[in-house]
Parts: sequence; C-alpha cells; structure tokens
Amino acid sequence: MSERDDLEMLVAEFVLGTLPKEERESLQARRTREPEIEALIQQWETRLAGMLDAIEPVELGPDLLARIQRTIEQQQSAPEATNPTPDNVVSLRKQVARWRWSTAVASAAALVLVAVLATQPEPEPQTQSFVAVFQHNDEQPAFLLTVDLDSRQLNIQPVTAEPKQDKSYQLWIVAEGYGPNPRSVGVMSDNFTLDQAALREYDPETLRDATFGISLEPKGGSPTGQPTGPAIHGFLYPTAANETSGQQ
Amino acid sequence: MHSDRQQTAHLQSTAEVTDMIRRVAQQDREAFGRLYEATAPKLMATVLRILKDRSWADDVMHDTYVKIWHKADQFDAKLSSPITWLAAIARHGAIDELRRHPARRESSGDEIDDIADSAPAAHDQIADHQTVKHLNHCIDQLEKDRQDMVRLAYLNGWSRDQLALHFDQPINTVKTWLHRALKQIKRCLEP
Repeated sequence: MSERDDLEMLVAEFVLGTLPKEERESLQARRTREPEIEALIQQWETRLAGMLDAIEPVELGPDLLARIQRTIEQQQSAPEATNPTPDNVVSLRKQVARWRWSTAVASAAALVLVAVLATQPEPEPQTQSFVAVFQHNDEQPAFLLTVDLDSRQLNIQPVTAEPKQDKSYQLWIVAEGYGPNPRSVGVMSDNFTLDQAALREYDPETLRDATFGISLEPKGGSPTGQPTGPAIHGFLYPTAANETSGQQ
Repeated sequence: MHSDRQQTAHLQSTAEVTDMIRRVAQQDREAFGRLYEATAPKLMATVLRILKDRSWADDVMHDTYVKIWHKADQFDAKLSSPITWLAAIARHGAIDELRRHPARRESSGDEIDDIADSAPAAHDQIADHQTVKHLNHCIDQLEKDRQDMVRLAYLNGWSRDQLALHFDQPINTVKTWLHRALKQIKRCLEP
C-alpha cells in the first residue's frame, strides 16, 4: 500500500472510531498542526455523517445548558479576577446585563443575585447595617457580606458560591491603620459560616471604610498568611435602614 | 415532492446553523444559546448511543459545547457542513471517553437490533436526504457482517477488539475488513 493509502485508512478509521487509542491520540495531535490531515478528516466526516440520520434526537436535561454557560463564564471572566473594580455593586449589575444568555434557566441564575440583594432581611431601625457584594468571577462565585457596625457582627451568605473540594474560602480585610496587606478575618467552614464576632477588634469607622476580599485557598486557609489565590473584593454599602418599607 | 421539501428545509437549517456558529465565533452568547437549542438534542442522542449512560453523556456534552464555544472560529464551511462539524466534536468526545474508561460502559445485547433498524429518520438535518440515501445505498452494498461492523463502530463506538470478539475474528482480520469496507464506501460515493 502506498503511503497515501496508509494515511487515508488511518484517517478513515479515526473517523469511524476504530483506531486504537494511541494512534487515535497521535492523529488528533497531528490534525492541529497539519491542515492537509484536518482536510482529509473532514472529508471522511462528511462521507460518513449520513449514518447519524438514523439517530433520533433526545430531550435534554434542564440544567445542562446552564452548566455549560457557567463554565464558559468562569473561563471568560478569569482575567478580571485580578482586576477589582471600584464599584462592585454597579459592576455587578453591568455584569448581569452583559450576560444575557438566552435561556430562562440562566436568567433565573442571574436573578438570584438581584433577588438576594433586594430581599435582605430588614435590619432593626437603629442598627447600622452594611452590605458588601462579591462579584461572580473566575472561581470566586458571589457572596454577600452583611456587617452590623454597632455590634460588629458579620454574616456571610453565599449567593452562587458552591463548596469546592479540598479548598476553603477565606475572608480578608484591608483597613486603615492595619498596614497595606490584607489581614485574615477568618476561614469559612464548609457550609460558609464564619465566626460572627471575627471583626470585633476593628472599630466601626475603620470597618466602614475597609475593603474586603474573599479568596479561594487550600483547605484550612492560606498557608502563607496572605491570599494565595486570586481574590475578589467588596466594599461596604449602607443598607436602606432609614427607609420605611411597608408592613412585613 | 416530499424529498424536495426536506431538501429545502435542510438547506435552510444549514444556513441558519452556519450563521449561529459564525456569531458564536464572535462571542455572541445569545447565538450560543440558540445553537445549543437547535443542535444539542441530536448531539446528545449521538453521545448517548455510544456511552449508554445519561450522566456520563451529560459530561461529554458539557465539554463538547465548551469546546464549540472556543473553536467556533475554526469552523470552515468549505470543508464540512456545520452540523457534521458539530456532531464530529461530540462523537469524538464520546469515543475518547469510552476508550479511556471502557469498563464504564455496559455492553447490551440489543445493539445489533439498534443498528439493524437504521432506516433514515425523516426529521433530520445532518445531511440532506439524497446524501443519506446514497450513503446507505453504499453501505448496503457491503457484505452483511461488514455493514454491521461499520454501523456498530460509527454509531455505537465499538472498538476493533469488541468487533473481533463479537464477530469471532482475529483483530487483524477485522482491521482488513474495515479498510476494505471504507475503501468500498469511498469508491461508491464518488460521483
């Protein structure tokens, strides 16, 4: 057999699917480098594709597209992870607007972010309550951090965050008077809880102007005392404590 | 006639899918959603036929569409039809998975029945009606065993080893038969 014939059969069997694993992998590597092989492969794909007509389409699971979109979204926004924006609430909205996926499933996921913002439990009228939004980014899904400045109690809430195996989320603070480097507030437990009193050493004025960050760290928290994974940042914004919001 | 209408429908959908892929190449997320709705049921069926396991097929479909998002700009309408190109990504993803974890798939006895009943389905748009008819005609020219081999390999993802076992032939004989069958198909399809 000529070399041309050999190549032809290699490609034909690759497309048919019967090429042994090693030869299959080596051909797949070659096709990206050698356009003539790619063209030959596509010729065979075209020849045999008619067989697929015998296959009847099946219904899809409801979550698959959303899962695909989530992966793409995470891959696409990766470069932004190291580039915190100064106004995360606004940019969160922008981001929601930017991600106009066509399906209801994905829209529902985006709406969750907004809905949680809007339906935060009303604080007691006298307390100064602040909320920070952590954008959906790279591998750092969105959180809401609520801080009651008077009692310095914090409450962290995952919005779209999911536990990661062998990883922990860690909350950091950068505050005036505590140096330029982030200080650890605490490592979240697997169900996203954190010591509510972890901010007691900071006074309310400091907390009000502080920047918070959440990073994804090895299990148990950063081994170095500084964020090792890319962090996402949030600033505290007053919740609408003074507005009357009707009967509850 | 009926087949003319099918042909027209096929050509329209080819243009539409080509347009969606072109938009996806420009990072159009809305077009990506439409492309998924239009093509995923067929691709899922293709993958499921090979892997026989829903959650495994879900994983391959996930990887397939993430790949499609990234590779859409490599689609060349001069080389293949859009649906052929998409289905190839899904099919090869499934076959790669199967070769990596052959034990995960349970072989079932009814696969031969599956392929025996391989009359072209009327609803479909992988290839136009005439092309499908022509290919089936060419495959039907092969000896019965070789027809089955080609369909079991292509549609169900059977390896040379599985074919050898089922048809009770040495692997080298299977390889020779497959090569002859593929050459015969190619010759038969030539205009």
